[in-house]
Amino acid sequence: MIGANRLVDAASGTRTTWAELPPVAPAYPAAYPVALVVGSGFEALPAVAAHAATGAELLVVAAGRVDEALAAELRTSGFGLVDAAGTASPPPSVRAGERGRLWLLTSGSTGRPKRIGHTLASLTTVTGALPPRTWLCPYSPGTYAWWQVVTLGLTVPGQDLVMVDPAAEDWLAPALEHGVTAVSGTPTFWRRSLLTLGEELARLPLEQVTLGGEPVDQAVLDQLRAVFPAARISWIYASSEVGASIVVHDGRAGFPLDWLDRETPDRPRLSVEGGELVIASPHHGTDPSGRRLAGPVRTGDAVRIEDGRVLITGRLDRDEINVGGAKVSAGEVRGVLQSHPGVGWAAVRGRRAPLVGTVVVADVVPAAPVEFTADFAAEVSRWAAERLPEYAVPRRITVLPEIPVKETLKSDV
Amino acid sequence: MEPLDRPAVRDLMGEVLAVQGKTLPADDAARLADIGFRSLDFSELALRVEDETGLELNFEAAGLRRIDTVADVLDLLVALQTVDSQGA
Repeated sequence: MIGANRLVDAASGTRTTWAELPPVAPAYPAAYPVALVVGSGFEALPAVAAHAATGAELLVVAAGRVDEALAAELRTSGFGLVDAAGTASPPPSVRAGERGRLWLLTSGSTGRPKRIGHTLASLTTVTGALPPRTWLCPYSPGTYAWWQVVTLGLTVPGQDLVMVDPAAEDWLAPALEHGVTAVSGTPTFWRRSLLTLGEELARLPLEQVTLGGEPVDQAVLDQLRAVFPAARISWIYASSEVGASIVVHDGRAGFPLDWLDRETPDRPRLSVEGGELVIASPHHGTDPSGRRLAGPVRTGDAVRIEDGRVLITGRLDRDEINVGGAKVSAGEVRGVLQSHPGVGWAAVRGRRAPLVGTVVVADVVPAAPVEFTADFAAEVSRWAAERLPEYAVPRRITVLPEIPVKETLKSDV
Repeated sequence: MEPLDRPAVRDLMGEVLAVQGKTLPADDAARLADIGFRSLDFSELALRVEDETGLELNFEAAGLRRIDTVADVLDLLVALQTVDSQGA
């Protein structure tokens, strides 16, 4: 741990260092593995420092992701839930923690979070000397991208961190105040910033601009180049399962075709099978039983080869909708809509939209004819809003008089 | 279909907020952060404009501008319809 690296909480203006962070005590480390539920990324840093010192098993998760079902699943798996103030809710039965183990939560194929095991070493993919930088970290606490930035600050000399809420619309003022020179964010973060902060962004003297967490298109790279002509602009393909596998610095979307099927010791091997990106990586995580995810991993990401580049275009799995980096299961949303007593049928899909890339939209057919379709759509929208995270609630609901013919045929088949 | 004028876009913005139990203030200088109009709301409003007009809005043509107030949103969405309807 590089104790002297600086840490700043943009929301409160608190400045400290890793060495000066207060302990989370008494609740972490504990006699059981801890799931730390935090309201902000900065709140999690004392536990990260404690993990670096003790190796006590830890999972960090944003409070907004923890619903009753997830809390119950974690407790059944032997985790005690601890908040940033140290208040603890021990698990029903205590199991000994696994030394050095860090857990990440990713979206499972059914929409339920899935646990992937890592260690500080497997999450630390940037090693060696770097020029001194002050990084803005606008990722959601506990995600793979968040850990990438945090381990950089934890392990590489001269890498200071300014932690900011992912939803913060105006991060520019604290970034200027605290001397940020490097920012890593999702394409949605950058699109939103380009649109809402405009030319004022250029006031930030960035040396490094990084994008990760979603497919990166050429338009956002070109806009960033125009605003930050002197910065190195990089995009990273990484996930909880395969780790950081592709890093591209040439300012172009996609990666060079000759990177495919290349064998390099200790580096991921990239290939394409049936239009899907497949990665065999030395940075793979483990499944919940601690078994290492071995061999090539089918990423579920669709690729297209064009002009000597391999472009990552989106998900092969039509069930998954990526709303500004948050993964939504179309099937889960459909289930919620169809659980409304007035809904006879529903279809859910993603629709291209500014800022967040894709939003969830739905077609619904009432179980019985309705007089005012706008009122019915509003009622179904409220029903969804009470049962789903904000990003998963359909933003356009079209009320149809009957199930579309092609859907009926599909049902018959 | 015809492009929507500023009052029509304003009506749609009010509808986006109304679904969430929020009210669009009369003053166009109101700050988006203060009225709780966020990225997803902006995306929804853009889709509503597209559905009403039949246009596909090209946000890459928007250029760099600060979007801080209700007026900024209305100005942008009115301007983008013009860009698209001229085929630019």
